[in-house]
Amino acid sequence: MQEAKTKNQQIEQSKKFLSALSAGSAVSGYEHGLLEMIAEGLRPYADELKHDAFYNVYAKKKGLTGQGTILLSAHSDEIGLMITDIDALGFLHFAQIAGVDAKTLLGQEVVVHGRQATPGLIVPIPESLLSADDRKKAAKIENMRIDIGWTQDQARERVSIGDTVTLKRTVSELLNDCLTGKTFDDRAGVAALAVCLEELSKLRHHHDVVAVATVQEEVGVRGASISAYRLNPDLAIAVDVTHAVTSDYKAEPIEMGKGPAIALGPNIHPALYRKLCDVALEQRLPYQSDPNPGVTGTDARAFQITQSGIPTGLVSIPLRYMHTSVETLHMRDVVHTGKLLAYFIAALPEDLEGMLCY
Amino acid sequence: MNVTDTQNAYPFLQQLTQAFGPSGLENPVLSLLAVATQGYADETYRDTLGNLYVIKRGTSGKQVMVSAHADEIGLIVTFIDTDGFLRFTTLGGVSVTNLLYRRVVFENGVSGVIAVEKLDKPGDLSLEKLYIDIGATSESDAAAKVRIGDSAVFVGEYTETQTRVISKALDNRIGCFVLSEALKQVVSPHTLVFVFTTQEEVGLRGARPAAYALDPDWAVTVDVTRTGDTPKSARMAVRLGAGVGIKVMDRAIVIAPYVKTWISEQARKQQIPHQFEVLESGGTESGAIQLTKSGIPVGVLSIPARYVHSPGEMIDKRDVASAIALLVALLQDQAGPQIPIY
Repeated sequence: MQEAKTKNQQIEQSKKFLSALSAGSAVSGYEHGLLEMIAEGLRPYADELKHDAFYNVYAKKKGLTGQGTILLSAHSDEIGLMITDIDALGFLHFAQIAGVDAKTLLGQEVVVHGRQATPGLIVPIPESLLSADDRKKAAKIENMRIDIGWTQDQARERVSIGDTVTLKRTVSELLNDCLTGKTFDDRAGVAALAVCLEELSKLRHHHDVVAVATVQEEVGVRGASISAYRLNPDLAIAVDVTHAVTSDYKAEPIEMGKGPAIALGPNIHPALYRKLCDVALEQRLPYQSDPNPGVTGTDARAFQITQSGIPTGLVSIPLRYMHTSVETLHMRDVVHTGKLLAYFIAALPEDLEGMLCY
Repeated sequence: MNVTDTQNAYPFLQQLTQAFGPSGLENPVLSLLAVATQGYADETYRDTLGNLYVIKRGTSGKQVMVSAHADEIGLIVTFIDTDGFLRFTTLGGVSVTNLLYRRVVFENGVSGVIAVEKLDKPGDLSLEKLYIDIGATSESDAAAKVRIGDSAVFVGEYTETQTRVISKALDNRIGCFVLSEALKQVVSPHTLVFVFTTQEEVGLRGARPAAYALDPDWAVTVDVTRTGDTPKSARMAVRLGAGVGIKVMDRAIVIAPYVKTWISEQARKQQIPHQFEVLESGGTESGAIQLTKSGIPVGVLSIPARYVHSPGEMIDKRDVASAIALLVALLQDQAGPQIPIY
């Protein structure tokens, strides 16, 4: 057993891992660029490590009896752009892959993943070329271009239609262990999985745990669906981010720094919600309740209806400014999420059926 | 690529496009395909969803699924009023603005025209205001010919020029045509399962259980895509006649990069004209196939088509020839798409 790390060491280690993951490029469907980095982060705590044909990464940690299998997931993909055309002046036209907030794109530095990674800028088309209506509205993607500084012929040598584009942004540290950067949705979840596996190596747990860095969540929880089918686990917990309260937010708030948000609602098995809350109270870990009236927009959505139906839970890390390049979170929430999952798994009975019975 | 290679097969495309086959009622189309593929198949069968499987066995131990949907968009009758006018709803992605004064035909040959109630302004056009007039003189006269739940398809005759074809239902009878032509030519080490699927237009429904039943090593889908080469069209870098489309992404799928590379490398080696396709609206059944069971690597060959989901869809025969050649090359490739191991 390794010596317990201090809380601060754990936060610093997670910051480092999350910062590396955040700087990586992995638009939905193109997650192979992140495989090595994820594997490196999870390898120290995993008994087995593999990936499938769609780059889902599976890190397995064996339990004492291995009677059941627990799936934990956090998605590795990020929202991004795809080149749709190269015009006569060498400007690149693009479409979004999944839910990009268009109005935050203008002026961003990007990386075009062509024959080689090529820097570019997202620029508006001149106002004089916009319709009178469009001039009054927030910029639309079809009225933006990427300028890579080349002529059409030069651009065509470097870039093809269908090449992906990611935002260029490194992580910065704000006050009070807060971090800001791109793609904390859901690389923060991947960092939490690493914390969980590390904590589990200090705990006794009956069941095998497979932490999966899932792909293609942002285009429709696609990696979750095929990885859950492959594992057919006894229960599954998705780890994702959720909107944290900001100055303009009026709904029931989830707050940054106040602990993981434990989801409940029809997408969530009630026994898993209760158990997660009980464990948080027992371990004196902060948590917040996160009611979701419909299906959640997370891997949990796919897990619940895979194979014969999988008891599903969802733990979310509070995050501000989702789907922008300045996503902001509190590192304590990331570490607490990992710990909560580990203690939850250690607290599961050997016979899961009794606990999961309605 | 020589258009004349497949020129003598085009009368079969005419038959396919003119056959009746809205989602759920694909039998007339599938019967044509079953007959046409009979001499080239080791085994043919239908499943619960009505999908038609045509199997050509190989010895490599690998199984490849090749799919094209056989159904077309249509209309379905919801109500017959006291004067014998039919109210209806849509089967699949029918655009209401495409419907006015279109001729439609039911499976039993009854014809009708789509007309509209008095509109205060053109913007008021909506599905609720449209009806089908089959020339019935009364409710009972109409009910003797058409029943609630009967489906109709557009009338859209087949026209062929030196290079192009105009017809209804080229989405996706052209895909079925490409599969049946490829079947005739292909000599593959793999077991090829050509699946002519049902109910694609209403939610990729036939392909999903077919992929589940087969769980193939990899799959290729053939369907149409849009173009950006008509006056003031939405911008899209696909042109009619510029080669077969190799799909990169649509709303239902992001093609795995190694599958995209596999297909484009085959096209390059065989010198087959091709273009990359990014479709910002719509999807194909490849999306359902890819997510079946533990995930199935799937590629898509797209036939560029103008005016998709209208009675006058248009394709270019050169693109069709490219698609057949590329499909044959892919199916004959010993290695198939190689999943990179990290």
